[in-house]
This record gives sequence, structure tokens and C-alpha cells, in this order.
Amino acid sequence: MMATPESKVAKPDDLTGIKDGYEFGFHDPENYAFKADKGLSREVVEGISEHKNEPQWMRDFRLKALEHFGQHRMPKWADGAMDNIDFQNIHYFVRASEKQGRTWDEVPDDIKNTFDRLGIPEAERKYLAGVGAQYESEVVYHQVREDLEKQGVIFMDMDTALREHEDVVREHWATVIPPNDNKLAALNSAVWSGGSFVYVPPGVHVEMPLQAYFRINTENMGQFERTLIIADEGSFVHYIEGCTAPTYTTDSLHSAVVEIICKPGSRVRYTTIQNWSHNVYNLVTKRAIAQKGATMEWIDCNLGSKLTCKYPSVYLMGEGAHAEILSVAFASQHQHQDAGGKAVHVAPKTTSTITSKSISKGGGRASYRGLLEIAPGAKGAKSKVVCDALLLDEQSRSDTYPTIRIGEDDVDVGHEATVSKIGEEQLFYLMSRGLSEEEASGMIVGGFIEPFTRELPMEYAVEMNRLIELQMEGSIG
Amino acid sequence: MAETATTTIEVCPAADLEPGAMRIVGLEDGRKLGVFNASGKLYAIEDRCSHDDGPLAEGPFDADNCTVECPRHGSLFDLTNGRPKSLPAYLPVETFPVRIEDGTIKLEVS
Repeated sequence: MMATPESKVAKPDDLTGIKDGYEFGFHDPENYAFKADKGLSREVVEGISEHKNEPQWMRDFRLKALEHFGQHRMPKWADGAMDNIDFQNIHYFVRASEKQGRTWDEVPDDIKNTFDRLGIPEAERKYLAGVGAQYESEVVYHQVREDLEKQGVIFMDMDTALREHEDVVREHWATVIPPNDNKLAALNSAVWSGGSFVYVPPGVHVEMPLQAYFRINTENMGQFERTLIIADEGSFVHYIEGCTAPTYTTDSLHSAVVEIICKPGSRVRYTTIQNWSHNVYNLVTKRAIAQKGATMEWIDCNLGSKLTCKYPSVYLMGEGAHAEILSVAFASQHQHQDAGGKAVHVAPKTTSTITSKSISKGGGRASYRGLLEIAPGAKGAKSKVVCDALLLDEQSRSDTYPTIRIGEDDVDVGHEATVSKIGEEQLFYLMSRGLSEEEASGMIVGGFIEPFTRELPMEYAVEMNRLIELQMEGSIG
Repeated sequence: MAETATTTIEVCPAADLEPGAMRIVGLEDGRKLGVFNASGKLYAIEDRCSHDDGPLAEGPFDADNCTVECPRHGSLFDLTNGRPKSLPAYLPVETFPVRIEDGTIKLEVS
């Protein structure tokens, strides 16, 4: 594995066939500290562990996971659309900078400029309690407000957490998502790098959100961050993640693992605004445990990527625990959003709501894939699943794959699904008020996903509406 | 409550199941059990992962921590009580009393 510095700027010809109007599709020259050759092997996995100077147990964990990766078959989600991924045509580890910055001035100029263009430092100044910025394989900037640190809140990148809080990490590591849970979790477990570690002490409420931003720059890059959030008893935290990548004609891969442990009475909200370029496979395993009286909320929006397979799940392990899963997917031309959510009721009096909103246009395909499971003994469990799909034209497609397993009689379960098109009457009404057809369609779509945007902090809701407007461009005629 | 009848099953000579070893036992009713020797202490659990009902006992056995890992999806089961220690399984599997009598490992099954 040798570093191969390159300096490359996307030429218009490189972008043929890729969606126009993706404003984050630029890329930087590569003045990297280290870039692994393409391909996955035992040597690559050992090399990653060596670069990070990890303890032996983690190296063993990675190597075992690599074996699982080789043994597992590719999941059949998205009708086998993942079968075309060439795992040997991916760079599994790229270190952009030797040092992580605690101020933006400590971040290399190229990378800092990119995050400036993405608006991260500005957002941090205005309304965030902490920021982690990952560029390629590792976090290049991390900061958390001092008052939170004084309260015992830990928010740092996972590599640093493994060094500084090894015992806590080891105690919880892979207890929610084992390395052989599925082929992609195995891959992440073998080659993980970066991601966030969050610990919130008992009773502490982190009122302003923590944000992580993930940026891919290199062509044929694989980003495999690993995030672990532990909310101790009665605590609260809102974690927001965003992501973008340059537009290339060849594919990149993002395959994260996110594990969340909500201890009794705690509440965690995890918001994702996924906006990868349309050449990125986004295959993520996200799972949370909610203990007695805890609440876990996944607010999951998928706008970008070539293919997304992501089904955030909550295991309701303690009495009275609650899950809220809100999934929004927007599939444009050449995109397949296979999204959804899972709620597993293990304990009595647990409740869950899964709301899925999907929009398909220009031949895009959006799917809801979900699971509602109620275990024997989970008396008094209540759940409501609502799947709404909006098709903007005749070429687009929407599918629903709900699985419901009920092992207990004393439960209250509801499932609703609707598929609709933008009605002529709705358009006519809005256009009679002076809106163009495009503006009218945009307004209807905005109303359709309003249950999602109203859950976002105001600044994110504004940005979200802008991104939807961008997605809607060219949807008429 | 009616008492459940138990049957004693002879597994093998104690010397044939060394520390760190596992043996699968088939019952007449079609069930299978895994018998484990964890550093000299014996445990017996259902050979069934409660996540997907597939075989469990042939997964990696950690004698030091008294666990067996489901070979398909990785849930760790505590051999002492049959409870899963990690997801995706969340329901316990059955455990069975096991002992050595007259140099033979014996199981009580109901």
C-alpha cells in the first residue's frame, strides 16, 4: 500500500450521465498523507489497524470480520442491485491529514475550504454544540463546547475514543450490531475508520445538536465510519449527520455502522440528511437499543446516492420504551432509494411509529422496506406504520415491502399505505393563484414531506427545502 | 401446576469432552442440544438461535466467557442462562441441567 498523490479536477466530460445541478460535486486536489491501493485483503485490514496503532483485540476483531465478509452472501435488498459492486475497485483507507484540528486553522487549507463551502464552520458558530468533520477515512476536525465537556459529555471521533476510552468502547462495541450481522456490517467491521463516539452522562441534556459531516473526495473511495452513541439514564442528545461527495463517472462506496444505546429514561434523536453524489452506493446498518422508558428517534432523509439500502431499527428492550422512525426518500433519475425502518418490541407497553414518505421522479425508484415485530410477552405494545409514496411521473416506481410479525395477542397495531400522484386539480388550483407548474409541484412535494421538515431545527429545515427544490428542478415537462 | 416429566440422556464419557470442546446431542423428538465444557464446567443449551431458529451450537465457543456465538448473524449467547448478550437475537434459548455421574456426562431434558 503506497501513497499515490494525485491532483485531479473533474472535467465536464467526466460527468456525462450524472445528474446536473448537484452543487456539491466538486473535488479537491489530493495532497494526502496516505492512500491505500485499491482492493480488499488481509494485508489492507492489517495495514489500517497498524496505521492506527490499535490494540490487539481490535485487530483480531477486524480480521474475524473480514472472514465473515467472505462467508456472507450479499443481501437481496433492492432486488440484487448491490451485486454489481466491485469490492476490489475501492480504496479502503485514505488519510488526508496527519493531524486532527481542534480549530479550523489547524485543518489543511484545501480541506478547510471545502468545509467552508459546505457551510460547516458557520453552522458550528451559530447553532451547534459540537462538530466532527470527516474527510475520506478520518476525522480532520473535532470540537465540542467546553461547558458540555465539563458536564462529562464525550464527543470525539471513534479512533480517538478507542485510544482514550478503550474500556467503555470495548464494553459496548458491536453489542448492537455484531460483525457478522450482515455482509455489509462485516465489511465495515473489517475496515472501519472514523465516525463518532458520543457519551452523555446521566441526566445531562445536550440542548443544541452535535453534528458530524462526512465528505468523500477521492474517486472510487470507500468510507466506512463507525459511530457509537451511549445516552446514560435520563439524558438527551440530538446528533445530526450530513454528507456529500464529488461527482464521478465511477462508483464509490459508503458503508457505515451506527450503534446507539439508550439507557433507561434517556432520549436520542439521530437525524440524517444524506446527499451523496449519484455515483455513491450508500449501504448503512443503523440500530438502536431502547431500555426502560427510553425514546429513540431516527429522522432519516435520503436525497442523494446511486443506491441507498438503509433501514434504521430500534429494539425496544425495556418496558415503556418508544421508537419514532421517520424516513424520507427522494429518488430521481438513475437513483434507487431502498429505505425504511424496523421496530422490534421485546418488552411490555412499548410503542413505535414508523412513517415513511417517498417521492419518485424521472424514472427513479423508491422502496419502503420495513419490519414490525412484537415478541411474545410484549403485552400492551402499540405500533403504527404509515407508508406514503408520491409518484411524479409515469416512468418512476414505488414499492412497499412491509413485514409484520406479531407474537403476542394483547397489542394494537396499524399499517396504512398510500400511493398517489400530483393531482391535476391541485396543480390547477395553485397555478390559478399565479404559481408556475414547477413552483406548484414543489409546493405539493414540500407539503408531502412536511412531517419530516417540521422535526428539523429551523436552519436545517430551510436547507432541506432548498435541497428538495434542487431535486425538483426539471421535473416538469 | 402439573409436573413435567424429565428424561436422563447419557451424552458420552466425561473424558471424551475436553475443556473447550462441544458436542451436539440429538433427542428422539428431533430437538438438538449443544453440550459445552467451559474450563471443566459443563453447560447444555438448545442448538437453536432464537433469532432465526437456525443451528447455534457449532458457532465460535468462548470457554473463558461462557458464550457461544451464532454462526450466521453473530448474537452471543450466555451458556449459563441461555440469554443473548448481543443483538439481533433478543429471546433466550432453553438451557438444561447437565452433570457427570459415574464418569458419564448426563443431561436432564423435559
